[in-house]
Amino acid sequence: MPAAGRLIRAAVIATTALLLLGYVLGPIYWVFSSSVTAESALVSKPIRFVPDAPSLRNFRAIFLYAEEKVTYDTRRQSDPSAGEFVPSAAQNLMPAMMNSLYVGVWVAALNVIFSLTAAYAIARIRFRARNAALFAILTTRVIPDIALAVPLFLVMRNLGLIDTREALIVTYLAVTLPFTVFILINYFESIPSDLDRAARIDGCTHLQVLWHVFLPLGMPAIVASLLFAFLSSWNEFVLALMTTKTMAAQTLPIVISGFVFDFTTSFSFINAAGVVAIVPPVVLAIAFERYIVGGLSAGAVKG
Amino acid sequence: MLLVLPVMAVLAIVAVYPIVHSFYTSLYDIVLTRPHRAPFVGLANYIAVFDDARFWVAVRRTTVYTIVSVVGTAGLALVFALLLNEVFPGRRLLSIILLIPWATPSIVNGLMWKWIYDPSYGSLNGLLDRLGLIDRYQLWLADPDMTLLLVAQAAIWKQMPLAAILLLVTMKAIPDDLYRAAKVDGATVLQRFLHVTIPGLRSGFLLVFVYETMISIRHFDLFAIMTQGGPGDATFTVSWMIYTETFNSLRFGTGSAIAFILSMATFALSYALIRLLGKDR
Repeated sequence: MPAAGRLIRAAVIATTALLLLGYVLGPIYWVFSSSVTAESALVSKPIRFVPDAPSLRNFRAIFLYAEEKVTYDTRRQSDPSAGEFVPSAAQNLMPAMMNSLYVGVWVAALNVIFSLTAAYAIARIRFRARNAALFAILTTRVIPDIALAVPLFLVMRNLGLIDTREALIVTYLAVTLPFTVFILINYFESIPSDLDRAARIDGCTHLQVLWHVFLPLGMPAIVASLLFAFLSSWNEFVLALMTTKTMAAQTLPIVISGFVFDFTTSFSFINAAGVVAIVPPVVLAIAFERYIVGGLSAGAVKG
Repeated sequence: MLLVLPVMAVLAIVAVYPIVHSFYTSLYDIVLTRPHRAPFVGLANYIAVFDDARFWVAVRRTTVYTIVSVVGTAGLALVFALLLNEVFPGRRLLSIILLIPWATPSIVNGLMWKWIYDPSYGSLNGLLDRLGLIDRYQLWLADPDMTLLLVAQAAIWKQMPLAAILLLVTMKAIPDDLYRAAKVDGATVLQRFLHVTIPGLRSGFLLVFVYETMISIRHFDLFAIMTQGGPGDATFTVSWMIYTETFNSLRFGTGSAIAFILSMATFALSYALIRLLGKDR
């Protein structure tokens, strides 16, 4: 390639990369910087993009809520024009995070337990209803969450399960299982069939083949689907909105949406709550980046 | 067959049963404000929905929103995938950073963009003002024509990473020989892109279109946090209508009818896309 061509290529790549980087990280940066900016600075013009005096008071209120409890009275005593207001509901964020964590871990674990055998069967055993089974599983994903919400709300109410974390776990299985089965099938189909045929000839049962061959070899896809299931339940909003009422079961998105609609809550605090909800999933996604791409690629290439 | 049973059983309980139940509910005139009378009305709820002008507004809003977000997501994802397919320093870092929007919960995505679009203190006004592109702060989410596009933009930000990864893995599977052959035949960069890359991405695009359509057509979270269906009926989408019918007006019958219509529409649309894009492969 001539020197001029190389230069143009480098310039195009650098510009595109910087633009995309700005688009992806710009909004995130704004949330982070707003979360450490004092409310008075946040609502003054012109808008400042770099906080002058970053402060961690929002995060202190969230993590050490016992020490900095803010009530209506303390709010009245503080300077109202400054709007430095941390709602007392700030203390709900950590319990909500625990709920999200609990639900997410269970959903991820149950996903893998339920879908492993199905994915193995569909990928390897030529049984009659094979295509019908795959179709049936994937079709359930077409149902909009909001359509699931109403009947599930009625069922959970009749069972007395409204406002329990268990109700959320069961509900989220409906949303996550089809995708998990899909990822696992695609990955299992990419495993050379000599291995399991040899094991079958040696007299292994299907479950033994699954355990000794597919479980170890399918690890990347299994980790990917664990992660997908966990992140989907961390993210879920509609179904949790319908079936939870109190801190016994409310997850992070529900508590945060409560702040957004409470017009007395400061912008800087809402952003801090957002940061608290972003960090765990982003850290997980980055830590397991290889598995996400690997788990998806087996499926995408075959289409 | 026995091995598939666990999944089938769980899905039957948590997915198939609800949708059947939802259809059953849609045949009754259930209004929770008068709990003891729920007469069977057959398809009357469906007829009422199709007669309702608001429903057609919702269908129109949902269609525009879906088209804008699917096309935007696929377009931006293509740019990202093409970039990440090149070799340059920092490529790996960029591909890791790409996962951040994908992992961001959609509620946080909603509040983030709501804050960016904020008419008085948002960074969009701040940025455009500093660049000299606007002379006074705009009320972004108050303009009915803009609102739907701005919500779609927020959806694109979150959806684009997964689409980019899907396109990238498909792109990497295109055999190098095809590019070399095209080069020998004297094809320009643009011709190679149009005649080798784009056809080679067919299965990736199929996956992206089907998945993104399914996500967008029933999207709820961003509307709940950013606009609540407003201003006026600017973001009154079908899923928002299901929500208000059911949980604000407590008309479970019509709410279920719309939910069932939406499920069938999503199904038909995904099926059509698969037939359309998936043929002659």
